[in-house]
Amino acid sequence: MEFTILFLATAIVMLIAWRGQRPLALGLFGAVLIACVATYLHHATDTLKLSF
Amino acid sequence: MTRTRAITLNALSLYGVALVLAAAYAAQFMLQELPCPLCLLQRILFAALAVGPILNIRFGPRPSHYAMSLLAAVAGAVASTRQVLLHIMPGDAGYGSALLGYHYYTWALLGFITAIVLLAAILMFDRQFEEDKAVLPATGGAFAQTAVWLVIALTAINVVTTLLECGFGACADNPLVYELLKHAA
Repeated sequence: MEFTILFLATAIVMLIAWRGQRPLALGLFGAVLIACVATYLHHATDTLKLSF
Repeated sequence: MTRTRAITLNALSLYGVALVLAAAYAAQFMLQELPCPLCLLQRILFAALAVGPILNIRFGPRPSHYAMSLLAAVAGAVASTRQVLLHIMPGDAGYGSALLGYHYYTWALLGFITAIVLLAAILMFDRQFEEDKAVLPATGGAFAQTAVWLVIALTAINVVTTLLECGFGACADNPLVYELLKHAA
C-alpha cells in the first residue's frame, strides 16, 4: 500500500510542478523523497548474505 | 548552452524516464514478472527524477531543480545497490529475468549512476541560468509538453497497477499474483 501512496504522491508532485506553485512542488518533493528513504529503511532490515 | 537548448535537453530526459518506466511495464506484462517492493521503490525514484526537469521546463533551468533530480538519483542508486548486494552470493539466480546479461536492478543502478553523471555535466553549463530573450513558451513547446504529460501518465498508471498488485496491505516480498485481481477471480 505504501508504494501505491508513493506513486500517487509523486504523480501529484509532478502535476503541481507543472500547473501549481513552485515552492509547494519543492516542499512536497522533499516530503516524498523523505518518505521514499523511510520506506527503503523499513524494507532494508533483511540481513545481507554477502559472499566475502 | 543556452536556456532554450537546456529546456530541450530536459524534455529529452523526460522521454528517457518515460522509456525506463515503459520498459519496466514491458517486463511486467510481457514476461509476467511482478515487481518486488525494492523494484517498485526504484520505479518511484525514477519517476521522482522527472520532477526537476518538469520544473526546469515550466520555470526555466535552476540549479535547485537539478539538485532535486540528483537527490532522487542518489536515493535510487542506494536502493538498486542494495538489491544488487542481496543477490551477489555465488549461485544466486537473482530476482526476475536478465536482460542482456544483467537483471533489472543492475540496469537500474547503471541508469541512476548515468543520471548522476549527466546531471553533474549539465550543471557545468552556466549560460542556461541566464535570462534568454529568445526563450520558448512558458511551457516549453509541444515537444516538452508531450514529454511532461507522458511521464505523468505513466506514473499515474503505476498508481493503479501497484494498487492491483499489492492491494491494501503490505506488498509481498516475492509477488506472484495481483492481490486485488486474485480476490476478483
